[in-house]
Amino acid sequence: MSFVSVENLFHSYGRRPILERINLTAEKGEFLSLVGASGCGKSTFLRLLLAQEQPSRGSIRIDGAPPATEPDRARGVVFQRYSVFPHMTVRENIVAGESLSRPLGRFFGAGARAARARADAVLERIGLGHVAQAYPATLSGGMQQRLAIGQALVAKPLVLLLDEPFGALDPGTRLSMHDFLLELRAETGMTVFMVTHDLEEGFKLGDRVLVFDKPRWDPTDPEAFGATITYDFDARNGGIPFQTIKEDIHVHRPSEA
Amino acid sequence: MLKTTTFAAAIVLAGVATTTAVQAQEKTDFRVAWSIYVGWMPWGYLDDSGIMDKWAEKYGISVEIVQINDYIESINQYTAGAFDGVSATNMDTLSIPSGSGVDTTALIVGDYSNGNDAVILKGEGTLADLAGKPVNLVELSVSHYLLARGLDTVGLTEADLGGVINTSDADMIAAFAADDVEAVVTWNPLVSAIMETPGATKLFDSSDIPGEIIDLMVVNTETLEANPDFGKALVGAWYELMGIMSSDTPEGIAAREAMAEASGTDLAGYDAQLASTQMFFDPAEAVAFTQSAELPATMVSVAEFLFDKGILGEGAPSADFIGVAYPDGSTTGDANNVTFRFDTTYMQMAADGAL
Amino acid sequence: MRLINRRPGPALRAFLALLPFLAVFAVYAVASDIRLTENPSDRLLPAPSTIVETAARLFTEPDRRSGRILLWHDTAISLQRLALGVGIAALSGLVFGLAIGLLPHVRAALGGFVAVVSMIPPLAILPILFIAFGLGELSKVMLIILGITPFLIRDLSQRVAEIPTEQIVKAQTLGASSAVIALRVALPQVLPRLVQSVRLSLGPAWLFLIAAEAIASDLGLGYRIFLVRRYLAMDVILTYVLWITLLAFALDWALRALSRRAFPWAGAAA
Repeated sequence: MSFVSVENLFHSYGRRPILERINLTAEKGEFLSLVGASGCGKSTFLRLLLAQEQPSRGSIRIDGAPPATEPDRARGVVFQRYSVFPHMTVRENIVAGESLSRPLGRFFGAGARAARARADAVLERIGLGHVAQAYPATLSGGMQQRLAIGQALVAKPLVLLLDEPFGALDPGTRLSMHDFLLELRAETGMTVFMVTHDLEEGFKLGDRVLVFDKPRWDPTDPEAFGATITYDFDARNGGIPFQTIKEDIHVHRPSEA
Repeated sequence: MLKTTTFAAAIVLAGVATTTAVQAQEKTDFRVAWSIYVGWMPWGYLDDSGIMDKWAEKYGISVEIVQINDYIESINQYTAGAFDGVSATNMDTLSIPSGSGVDTTALIVGDYSNGNDAVILKGEGTLADLAGKPVNLVELSVSHYLLARGLDTVGLTEADLGGVINTSDADMIAAFAADDVEAVVTWNPLVSAIMETPGATKLFDSSDIPGEIIDLMVVNTETLEANPDFGKALVGAWYELMGIMSSDTPEGIAAREAMAEASGTDLAGYDAQLASTQMFFDPAEAVAFTQSAELPATMVSVAEFLFDKGILGEGAPSADFIGVAYPDGSTTGDANNVTFRFDTTYMQMAADGAL
Repeated sequence: MRLINRRPGPALRAFLALLPFLAVFAVYAVASDIRLTENPSDRLLPAPSTIVETAARLFTEPDRRSGRILLWHDTAISLQRLALGVGIAALSGLVFGLAIGLLPHVRAALGGFVAVVSMIPPLAILPILFIAFGLGELSKVMLIILGITPFLIRDLSQRVAEIPTEQIVKAQTLGASSAVIALRVALPQVLPRLVQSVRLSLGPAWLFLIAAEAIASDLGLGYRIFLVRRYLAMDVILTYVLWITLLAFALDWALRALSRRAFPWAGAAA
């Protein structure tokens, strides 16, 4: 059985279909990039993976567990913004990655000291050791996203979900964040789903690139049909030599790529 | 910049300061204020019925009668110069306008409280039982005076009580219903309403000190001296209505019904309140009361009470600080600082039919 | 240069800030002088020097009858009532605000109710308050509580609801329970807002305090003001008004300072 399996997934808001007939499997350690035009459902799909919303039909299983009904520790997440807690220092944010699951949400005594030491080690690793006492609002956008990723990882999730994590960063910072993410991934071998609107970024970071699009299109009623995964590229080595198309049904419309 | 400030100052001053400046001059437009109380209800009716306008026209002036919901505020407004006359008790006239140096004349002595003010206890008891109990009342009002006079009769003082708690008259009925309230002192129509509560006992009322709580129409002395017609019109209108309302003719009943309605009760309720009020329907009676020897004694006792409570101001060296003049020319208090005058001239004219 | 781009220098700025105060004082002094020339015993607008003398007496000399310095007793009891009322209101505002902001069931049950209750003018239902809570300290504190709690609840629940969903979801992915989200994520973030809301509601709180003391009391700042109104002792009233203004200003300043010290992260964002 696959590590992540999505079976016959449909999702609609009211009578408006968003996602149709999505079937997907991913192996442990795979990095999947989710790309597509705005409003094509890739962020909705990520929220379903997160269990922040429940699908109208179909199911999502991670590591064979029953479908989740609310976000839990199996899923780590980093959003484009607001992913860290503004009222905690950088170090407290990392500690929170471990401590929020405890009864009162904090460690006491020796446990607290040990957690702080572990947090400092994490901060050194992600290059934020020098700002451990600072509040997130004083950090640059890139540093905040590093912190958000570090915080998500200390909770040791089964899958890491990234929703346009570098969308708000300037190009230079974005490149260094790519390196940062690739290094972390090489170290941890984690399973990642990343939504991005940047094709290049998707191919650079992902093992596979999933393209979300509407296979059917009614020009008089653009919202009559939902989107699905129309392409599933093998993106290893820049996606060139091993390109495969896995989906049976697809409509290729270059003008919308 | 300085010019602007001075200019702005001048504009504001025009509002605050000129109110007193024009008073002494001869004028034709006058304003008097009144507030709701059994003995003052005729003022509202004088306005509504057109009797006031009729008399004002006769003397070629105009008199505006304004109802003020807050009694103390009406006196304060008069003292500040916004009105030429106001309905007030002898005690509040002494403490507020006269105490503030506004020379004031009692033009009409309308009535005295003869049971309208009362000390009421929850449950059975006597005045002596008030010892150690808190008493709710409007502090420094005639209620406070009544309580002091009542305690005198049983040899107690305010210090023997469990304290006096200043309570708004508007909330007195609700206060009496509250658990922690044991005794109240108040006036009608609140007294009648509170006496309807099961277990309420009247310990002492103003009929035990008749003639000490006097309801007046007071006017600014300077204004009156410069404009005798103002006094004549007010007194003439007042005693015409007194004649009407004291009769049981349809006209008299209609007048009392209108007053009853304006004070929030019915004819029977208003007549009951009138019964505990010694109204001077006949100007001759009012003149006789004002000229009686008891009045100076009452005013001295009131002044002493006010001084004792610090109401005459910290600058007041003694209870005699303010002078009060009586119809025969005699005075009590400081003869060089007379700011409160009982004057029967106009009431006498009414009695003689000379208006 | 456009007017919107002209800025006063430090000296001029200080002068401009002082100007309205000076203007009010000048207007008052002149108006008082005119009235006192007319009638030396006038009490409506006592001379500034009289107010200073009265203030000195009120602050230092014991009352002739009770032997106590009434102003300090009035201040102590009023501040105690204010602190109790505002404190209880803030606490319940916080608890209900968090519950309404975070829990959909509580929001469904109480959201509309609080919105409606916050429209009731508490002074209009005074007789009910008297009978329910008596005429003592309780009813005065209750009036303040009833007066400002609905506003605090609405404001804080609004602020809780404004916490980005991303943060709430993130906390869930870190394994936080509802209680932990309330305590560790929502509570600390609304505390600065609580201080701000309390600062805003101090004005109404003073108003309700003065009203409560005016209606039934034997001690307190509002009691004294309404008592001496009976003989138009404006010198005493104005002294008390200035004192209350000073107290209110000091309270506001203290809360602002507290907020800056206790929540450095809130300022860092700006």
